[in-house]
Formats: sequence, C-alpha cells, structure tokens
Amino acid sequence: MRSFLAVTLCLALFALPAGTARAVDEPGAQNFIRDLGDRAISLLEESTAGTADRATGVRDILRTSFDMPTIGRFTLGRHWRSATPGQQEEFLSLFEEMVVETYSRRFTEYNNETFVVDGSRPEGERDVMVRSRIVRNDGPAVEVVWRVRDRDDSFQIIDVMVEGVSMAVTQRNEFSSIVQRNGGNIDALLDAIRQQISTIRSGA
Amino acid sequence: MTDSTRLESAVESADASQPAAPRRQVAGRPIPVRRAGRWAGVALCAVAIAGCAGPREADEAVYDPFEDVNRAVFAGNEFIDDILLRPVAEVYQDYFPEALQDRVRDMLRHLRSPLIFANEILQGDFEGAGNVASRFFINSVAGVGGFVDVANHNGQGIPFEGEDFGQTLAVWGVDSGPYLVLPILGPSNVRDTVGRVVELLADPIGIIATAYEVDAFNYGRLGFSIVDARARVLDQLDALEEQSLDFYVTIRNLYTRMREAEIQDGELEADIVDIPDFDDFDEGGADDGAPQDGAPQDGASVTERPAGLPAGSVPSDPGAGAVSALPAPSLTIEPYSGEPYSGR
Repeated sequence: MRSFLAVTLCLALFALPAGTARAVDEPGAQNFIRDLGDRAISLLEESTAGTADRATGVRDILRTSFDMPTIGRFTLGRHWRSATPGQQEEFLSLFEEMVVETYSRRFTEYNNETFVVDGSRPEGERDVMVRSRIVRNDGPAVEVVWRVRDRDDSFQIIDVMVEGVSMAVTQRNEFSSIVQRNGGNIDALLDAIRQQISTIRSGA
Repeated sequence: MTDSTRLESAVESADASQPAAPRRQVAGRPIPVRRAGRWAGVALCAVAIAGCAGPREADEAVYDPFEDVNRAVFAGNEFIDDILLRPVAEVYQDYFPEALQDRVRDMLRHLRSPLIFANEILQGDFEGAGNVASRFFINSVAGVGGFVDVANHNGQGIPFEGEDFGQTLAVWGVDSGPYLVLPILGPSNVRDTVGRVVELLADPIGIIATAYEVDAFNYGRLGFSIVDARARVLDQLDALEEQSLDFYVTIRNLYTRMREAEIQDGELEADIVDIPDFDDFDEGGADDGAPQDGAPQDGASVTERPAGLPAGSVPSDPGAGAVSALPAPSLTIEPYSGEPYSGR
C-alpha cells in the first residue's frame, strides 16, 4: 500500500510541472526538422560528391541548424570551468570543426536514403523531441530523435539521440574521460581533437 | 592501484555526488529464479519508485574497477576481430545472398522465442509474452518453421522484441555491477554475464538439441549468431570508431546506456539531461555540476597534474576493427537483445 501511495505521489509530482509548462511549438519544430532533411537531400541530389559546392552547402546547413556553442559547452561539462578563456575559445572552435568534418564525411556516403518525420513530444519547457527515420535501401531504417530548442523566433538542434542514446552525453563522457586520463589537462583534449580532425580530413 | 586509477575513481566519485539522483549501488547478486514471483512484485515497485527519484545523471561514470584488464581484453577482441570476425562477416555480407541473410536472422530470432517468452513472464510483461507466443505460432506455421518472419512482414504486424535474462534481472532491481569486457563476446557487466550463463543453461532449444545429440545444430546456431551480429554493424562500428577519441570509452558508455534504454522497453530516452543554453551557463541556475571549489580561472589548474601522469598522454588510437559486440549508435535495433551466444 505504501508503495502504491509512493507511486501515486510520484505520478502527481511528474504531472505537475508538465501542466504549468509553457507550450512549445511542436509543429514548428517538426517542420524545422523536415525542412532541414529536405534541404540536405536536395543538396545531395543536386551536387556531386567531393565538390566544393557540396562541402560548403553541408557546412552551412550544419553551422546554422546546430547550436554549436551550447552543445560544445555542454560536452566539456565541468571541465569548462577549469579551462582558461583561451582554452574555452579554442575548444569551441575545434569542437565545431570536428562536428562539421565528421558529419560532412557522413554526408558524402549518401546513398539515396529518404528521410521521414514521424512525430514529436515536448521535453521540458523549451525543447521538442522530433522523431524521424532515415530509410535505407540496404538494411533496416535508422531511428533518430532530434532534440530541438524552441527559441520563439528560431529553432536549433541541441542534441541527437540514436537508439535512445544522446550523442551530446556520449561526447561529454568521452571528453571527460580523456581529460581525466591526462590528469585534468585540457590541452591534451584539445590536441586529441586536433588530431582527430586531421585524421578525418586525411581519410576523406 | 595506480595513480591514474586512483585519480579516476576520485573524479568518478565526485561525478556521482553531483546534483543528480542518488547512485544505485546494489550489489550485482542474482536472485534465485524460484523466488522470482515474489521478488518481481517487490522489484517492480522499487523500480517504479526509483524511477521517480528524478532522472539519473546520464553521464554518471560507468563503474569500471577492472578497467586495466578490460582494456587488455578489449585489445585482444579487436585483434580477433581484425583477423577473423570482421573478414568472415564481410564475406557473409557481400557474398551470401541477402534474402538468405534475412532468413538466417529470422530463424535465429525464432529460436530465441522460448527464452524471450520466459523473460517476458518473469518481468511481468504479459502483453509482451503474448506477442512472442503469437509470433512463434504464426511463424512456425506460416513462416516455414520460423525461416520467414511473416508475423512482422515489411514492418507491419507484431515486431520482434528482444528480452534476455540480464534485462529481467535489471527489472527485478539487480544493479549492473562492474563493467566487464568478455573475450570474444565483448562488452558486458556482471549482471548481464550472469544472464548469459543462465540462458545458456536454460535455453529449451539448446537443451533439446543437446538431448538429441545434434551438436552441429548448436555450433551452427552459435556461429551464425556471431557472424550475423557482426555483419549487421560493420559500417556503423567503423563510423563510430572513426569519430571516437577513445574507442574503449565510447563502447563502454554506449553499451551501458543502450542497455539501460533497452531495459526500459522502448522508453529509449534514458539520457535526456538538462542542456542549458550557452548564455545561461554562467548565470548560476542551470549548471553542469562544476565543482565550486574548482581551480582558479587563470589556468593554474592545468598545471596541477599529479606526478606520474605525463602531459599530453592521449590514449593511443585504438586501431582498426572492433569488439564483437556492440551496441553502436545507429545500429539497427536490438543491441544485445538478440540471439544468445551472439557476438555481442
């Protein structure tokens, strides 16, 4: 009985904040993701792999639709505070570069996949989780959830969840582990990211 | 204990004490199956209440006291993967007809039906149990003894849902215990390893095959399970490794969190954490849990490196190849939930 009460209490507590939350614009967020998918696919269809046009186009899409400073700062986690302003700035620019390089590379492997938005749900007071599927010709579809922040006048992606796992949190764990293994040295992390960027570039 | 592991555990415990929910720290002791019923009810309540205690810190450090040994096994697995598993999986993917690959996968899943059914019952998920039973019946009759998953044709119908005894233990409230990397099988933990052993011993299909002395069946099933599981994630693991700064850590985190997502049965949002806007970070309220006693902002902290830890000793590149197992992001569905001895 006690546990029943506890559960009920919990449910009530859960329900409360939801009731008072500001409504986020779910359809708007869905459209934002849908447009993004359409833009990316038409770019890939109209440009040729390996050309400057495609590279620039992909970079533009990534830079404008992802909130890089927010994601970057989040992924450095508690080490942000022990970093000097110079290191913070360097980290943010390297982080953005790494994300852009990684995803540009992924885009070059485009193989006529299609992109479908399946639905959404609000998360907290200002985010929308937009569910989507990337339908591949070979193999089962990949389900991706985009965490979109609704800033009243604009939308930006702040996280990507694949198979239920947050890429931002994954990245944060990895950064944190590298800093720890190097005795709290953030320069070691910056070096590792730099090396990573050049590895991706040389492989592309 | 080396300096570096001491340092890490210090930092990890600091992590755990961050504002998030209390760390579940139940020993990974299995519960006898006979008492399952009684325990299941208690455990379900406990889980329900624990779930209410607030979101767990999603990036809470994975409990990995055997990291040195695990890293060594991980490296060994990568070697085995390079010379054996990956080449075989590539040949299988490229030269084995795709339709046959699907038949193999459907059959492997079909053979797991009795185990999944039992686990659904033990977890108190009777709807899930009914789905497995329906699938087993439909596919046995209309699906040529299980070779064709007609119950879920073209994604329409009753989808396959993987359950295993490790998940059942988790539902009963058993904590994962230390992270382990198993030889060949890859990432696991104490709880999931116990789950594997129990399934190995209790699998009705395996018991029947052994009773009739058709060892070839068991070995064939094992072999196909491993190759099928590896072939499924060839590209994804490569991509993952390519973007990974420390592949061991990436796999450890992903395994742990994907398992948690899986235990929650499709409630795949296991690690949605607060992500403050960039501009909000310094305004007090929302924070990333930075220690308040933190180092001065002038960069002095960077020099406070314990002796014995060389600057810039970035973990070496983990090399090509991958452990067998692997829930990787953008894997298609069931990490681990699949076949019993599969290479995950």
